[in-house]
Amino acid sequence: MQTKLAMAVGILGMAMSGWASPASAHHAFAAEFDANKPVTFKGTITKMEWVNPHTWLHVDVKGTDGAVQNWAIEAGTPNVLFRRGFKKESLLPGTEIAIDGYQSKDGSHRANGRDLTFADGRKLFLGSSGTGAPYELTPGAK
Amino acid sequence: MDLLAFFGRLADSDWSVALHESQYAYSIIESIHVWTLAVFFGSILTVDLRLLGLTMRKVPVTEVAGRLLPWTIAGFVVMVITGSLLFSAIPLRSYQNIFFRTKMILLVLAGLNVWFFHSGIYKRVQEWDFRAIPPKTARIAGGISLVLWACIVVSGRMIAYNWFDCDRQPQSAIINFLTSCYP
Repeated sequence: MQTKLAMAVGILGMAMSGWASPASAHHAFAAEFDANKPVTFKGTITKMEWVNPHTWLHVDVKGTDGAVQNWAIEAGTPNVLFRRGFKKESLLPGTEIAIDGYQSKDGSHRANGRDLTFADGRKLFLGSSGTGAPYELTPGAK
Repeated sequence: MDLLAFFGRLADSDWSVALHESQYAYSIIESIHVWTLAVFFGSILTVDLRLLGLTMRKVPVTEVAGRLLPWTIAGFVVMVITGSLLFSAIPLRSYQNIFFRTKMILLVLAGLNVWFFHSGIYKRVQEWDFRAIPPKTARIAGGISLVLWACIVVSGRMIAYNWFDCDRQPQSAIINFLTSCYP
């Protein structure tokens, strides 16, 4: 009886921890993005999705061949960005920016944003906290 | 008007925009949803384990259920309210999310299980109230409840993942069918 109970609880616990361990308000970095695929580019903001639990920044990037690609950059929550001194209005369409981040595992034009740099040199750290992104795991990796 | 168009309009409403752009409201509602989950799932888990004959075997089933189910019901009410609010913040994306759809289907199944249990074997609970191990039908209901609610928690957690979202094409035809995506 005690053994049975322990087994039931154990199996349930394993199932829960295996499946639901990134139990934060958002998904883990490693579920979608690849730390080995850093991306850096300059572009123009086309849309700012100021959305919980993740904001998304859409950027038009001109490739070396002149073709324009639209990238979606994932960033922290509205609250997190607000605390770093930014509002939705800081990132209006048409703004020229540079982005550092990590591309998605599936190779699509999505990236987890790390740093955003404005034309005047001001920087905004885009990352969420507690998602296991490389810039959190290794201090100084930035 | 179909649901897709309806949730599309809801997504554009002032209410929905204010909620998903909010600085605090969204996180507070989400936190309440998760805190309450502990009350809801914890209490129903204990009742299910009693039905399975795995815990509190010397306590009458009606005693366990009578003390815990009010907490389960109260928790469920709060979960539905906060869950609906979270849905209204991101209606279209949630509606087309395969994990959200899975969760809704599992919720219906869990509801049916509750209904079968309470209109069936539980009506005769006086006959087996003191039994350490309840009759098979009750054990099955408890087991199904346990599995369904655990799966509901997991699928709820999975809604956050956008692996099968409509804006991530190409997806297989079956995924697009199941999520009402028209790429």
